[in-house]
Formats: sequence, C-alpha cells, structure tokens
Amino acid sequence: MSHALRVVAAEALKQHRRLFGQPLVLFSMLLWPLLTLAATYYTVLPVMESAVAPQRWPVAGDPRRLLSFLAAGALAYTFFFSLVQSAWHFSFERVSGTLEALFLSPASRMALVIGNGAAALTQNAWLFGCFAVAAATAADVLHVAHPGMYAVAALALLVPAVAWGAFLNSMLIFSRDSAFLYTLLDDPLWFVAGVRLPLFALPVWVKAVGLAFPLTSSLVVLRGALLDRADLGDLAAPLGWLAALTVGLFAAASALLRLGEARAQRTGGLQVF
Amino acid sequence: MSTGIVTTDLRKTFPVRRWQGWRRRPAAAPVAAVDGLSLRIPPGQVTGLLGLNGAGKTTTIRILSTLLRPTGGTVSVDGLDVVEHAREVRRRINVISGGERMVYDRLTARENLWYFGQLYDVPRARLRARIDELLDLVGLTEAAQVPVERFSRGMRQRLVIARGLINDPAYLLLDEPTLGLDAPIAHQLRALIAQLAADGVGVLLTSHYLAEVEQLCRHVYLIARGSLVAQGSPAQLAGQTVRRHTVRLVLAVADPAVTAVLRALAERHGAELTVDVDDEGRPRFTLRHPQDLVGAVVTAVVQAGGAVAGLTVTPPTLEDAILTLTDAQAVAVR
Repeated sequence: MSHALRVVAAEALKQHRRLFGQPLVLFSMLLWPLLTLAATYYTVLPVMESAVAPQRWPVAGDPRRLLSFLAAGALAYTFFFSLVQSAWHFSFERVSGTLEALFLSPASRMALVIGNGAAALTQNAWLFGCFAVAAATAADVLHVAHPGMYAVAALALLVPAVAWGAFLNSMLIFSRDSAFLYTLLDDPLWFVAGVRLPLFALPVWVKAVGLAFPLTSSLVVLRGALLDRADLGDLAAPLGWLAALTVGLFAAASALLRLGEARAQRTGGLQVF
Repeated sequence: MSTGIVTTDLRKTFPVRRWQGWRRRPAAAPVAAVDGLSLRIPPGQVTGLLGLNGAGKTTTIRILSTLLRPTGGTVSVDGLDVVEHAREVRRRINVISGGERMVYDRLTARENLWYFGQLYDVPRARLRARIDELLDLVGLTEAAQVPVERFSRGMRQRLVIARGLINDPAYLLLDEPTLGLDAPIAHQLRALIAQLAADGVGVLLTSHYLAEVEQLCRHVYLIARGSLVAQGSPAQLAGQTVRRHTVRLVLAVADPAVTAVLRALAERHGAELTVDVDDEGRPRFTLRHPQDLVGAVVTAVVQAGGAVAGLTVTPPTLEDAILTLTDAQAVAVR
C-alpha cells in the first residue's frame, strides 16, 4: 500500500513538472473556466430575461442565482474535463516511449493512472475551485443544510472525478489514437450533464445518456448541497447512483488495465524499444 | 538463490492483421519472431545475443523483461516464472536501450531518477544516496538540475543508463546501449558493464558493435530468424566458421625462387594465393586458408633466402562468423 501511495505522489508530481513550466500557466487555469462561465452566462441571459423562462425555472429570474448555478456547473465541468485532458496527455507517454518504462517497473498500474488523474485535478481545478468558493461566499449564494454538506459536496466532486480519470487513462492503454476521445467528451460532456442548463429542460434521451456520466450526478449533489440547502436524505438517490458509478468506473479501469497490458504483451502494442 | 535467467524452448508469434479495403483482417499465419530459443544468462557475467536485424533479439529482451508474453516455452529469473511472478521479476531486472528514450524531457536528471526510484520502490532512506551515486557514475553530477531537453545526445543516453540502474538490478538487459555514443563515452560504458558483471550482475548484451561483444562477453548466442544458430565464446564462434585466416607477406625485393616456394606451399595446402605489388612496388603475397599458415609461410620464405619486409595475419572475426552462420541458416531455410 505504501508503495502504491508513493507511486501516486510521484506520478502526480511528474505530470505537474511535465506540463507546467512557468507559474503563469497556473493562471490560465483560472482564466479558462472564468471565460467559459462568462460566455455561458451572457449567452443564456437574454433567454432567461424572457417572461416565460422564470415561470418554468425560478432560478432564471434571479441573475445572481443563475450565475451561481452556472458557476457550479463550470466548476464541476473543470474538474471532469481536466481528467479528459490528463488522459490525452497520458497518451503522449506511449508516443514518447516512456509508457514502456512505466510498464517495465513493478509499480501498480492503477496507482499510476490515479496519480495522473490526481495531478490533473490539483493543477487544473484548485485555482478555479478556490475562486468559486470565495466568490460564492462573498456573494452570499451558498445555502447549506449543515457544514458537513461542504464535505459531501467536495467528496461527490473529487472521488467520482478521480474514478473518471482512472477509467479514461486505462482506455488509452489500448490505442495511441486517443484524440477522438478528447473531441467526443468535450461538448457532449457539458451538454448531457446539465452543466449549463437544468436537467429537466433536456430531452429524455439526453437525460438517459447523461446518467452514464458521473459529472451529471456530481452536479446534482453539488448544486443541491451548496445552493439549495439539500441534506443527505434529499440527495440519497443521486449519491447512491454516484457511488455505484464510481465503483463501476474503478472496476472497469482495473479490468481495462489488466486487459490492455495483456493485449500489449500479446501484440507488442506498447512499442517500441 | 541466483540461478540466472533461463529460457527453454522460448517461442513468440505475433498475430498479423492486414488491411483489406476498410477492414483489418487476420493474416493466414502469425509471424514467428522467436522460435524455440533456449538461453542461459548467469549472474556475474556478460552474455551476448547477436544476430542480424530482425533476428529476434529485441523481442527476446522484451519477453525477458515481461513486456511481452511468450507464446510457448518458459522463462524464469532466479527460478521465478516471468508470467506468473511478473511483478517480482520486474524488481530484479531492468532494461537499457539505445536511442535516448525512456526519460522525461522537461524533468531534470535528478527528478527523472527520483521518479523512477519511486516506481521501483527504492527505500526512501537509500534513494537520495543512490541518485547521487548514479549521477556520479554516469558523469552527470554537474547537470543534475538541468532539464533533460537541454542535454546532448550522449548525456541523455547516460541518463538512460542511470535510470536502468536505479533499482540496483540483479539482471540488466542491454539493447544496443552504446548506439550513437561518442567513442570515449562508449568506452566508459563498456568499463561500467564489465564492472557490473564483476560485481555479480547478470548482463545480456545485444550490440551491432562486434568489438564490444568480443571485449565484454564470455558467452555469445547467435540467433537468426528467432532460432539459435550457434553459441560459445567469441573465439569459439569465430573458429566455427569456414572463413579463412589471411596471411599477407611483403618481400623486400622480388625473388623468383621465393615466389616458386610460396606457390608450391599454397598448392600443397590448398590455399588461395594472390600475388601483386604494394604501394612501394614490392611483391606482395596474400594466402587465404582455414588454418593459420603464417609459420609455414615465414619458414619457407627464410629457407628460400627471401627477406620479409612486412607481414600481417588477419584471423576470422566474429563478424565473419555471424555472416557465415546466418547465411548458412538462410540457405538451410530456403
């Protein structure tokens, strides 16, 4: 176990050093979600200002609540999409020949992909996370049932995100043609997960697809716990589903890593000395 | 117990799929990269694995290092099967390959070694000292804090070597480790390999530099098309060929009597004899024969009253052995 923890920490530090040369890059991690949030807010605002929208969705009638709804979406999306990016970066290990060096070692493969995901989370999301919490506190839009719900919200965001990252990274053991994943999970992820629109506004089939993504349930928990004063009882269903998804993603990641390595050992697919 | 790396009837085939229109379909037969190979790499010595391109050397190394799974046969490292006990095997071995891959460009030399030290679970208390030792060993102490992207090719390769030693491996698999290195650095690396073997490490070496193999290896396996063609010490392998010793003798002055004696000697032994002149216009005799005829040649010339101005003897080399033996195997396959 202690070896696995060492591998997680080492992998996270390595990914950080590989991807961040200058401290200024860190600020792009704040700028990017802020710009996304601003673009979203000013895109949906004209629609929400119509007389009909607040009748169906009361949040639309209050710009401050609307902004906090969208900010929660942007925060969660930043968490999950940074994992998509981390998987994409991990695919470069294969191209640069270092993936073989990792597989030569006795390190746990699961620890490696978790470390990779953890690095992406900490370096991509922490700044915007801190900003969002500070801004929400200052704007007095946080409404929690009790302080423990902060921890519930944080865990509902972090743990499934790490499982999501481990799953994506494990898929990339199979192929170096990973760019499609990056494209496939960009716009569809925010659309089906209700990042910019409430879930009830989406067609049934989109909601069904969205349930397969942990981001959807994470967002339900995050918004419910931090904005709508929901307690554990209110969130039992999404939390249960989120837990099942998380376990499923970790199990799938573990199986994919084993299958991927076995396949590479059979075909020589890790290439190339 | 250190029993070495032992392969028995090792086989590896790769499934081949070819594009047919828009689909990739399995080819009729998989390609055999290693075919019935039995080797032993004992601790404390350098063992060579030679063969032409595509002979199966790298595939063999990848199997021994657990990156590939054999299709047939067995491989054990100190008695541990590489398939069943892959993780334990990985702790005991490491691989160094030529071509500067396997390190991270944006990390410094020290960061690279620290990272791999964590992957190999090198004890925390030992890791810092181990990194210092290795940086010193490969001459990168001064460049320890420099990102690898600023390294020269030789420096990168030296870091690759240090990475391969981070876990203090009992067995080291070297795949063309001096590829592209300057002569002095390659010389240092050869000295290091010899020292590692003297310290008890079992080393498997593949190299296109045959002088390197002759210098370092006590035992050499020669493979072609994935199969063992010959084995022995470099000298034994060279001796197995039908290639000839070449005796080249230059006379101080032309002498018909000496020429006649040498022609008779060549005829008596069935040696190939060519006569020409060297750059200074002196008569030069070149005899080629499976045996070394230098003693008989010099005796005959002296007894005939000739004056020897120059004499060189070229024995068959390991390169001759590889070419001859792999040619023979290719003919046999045809």
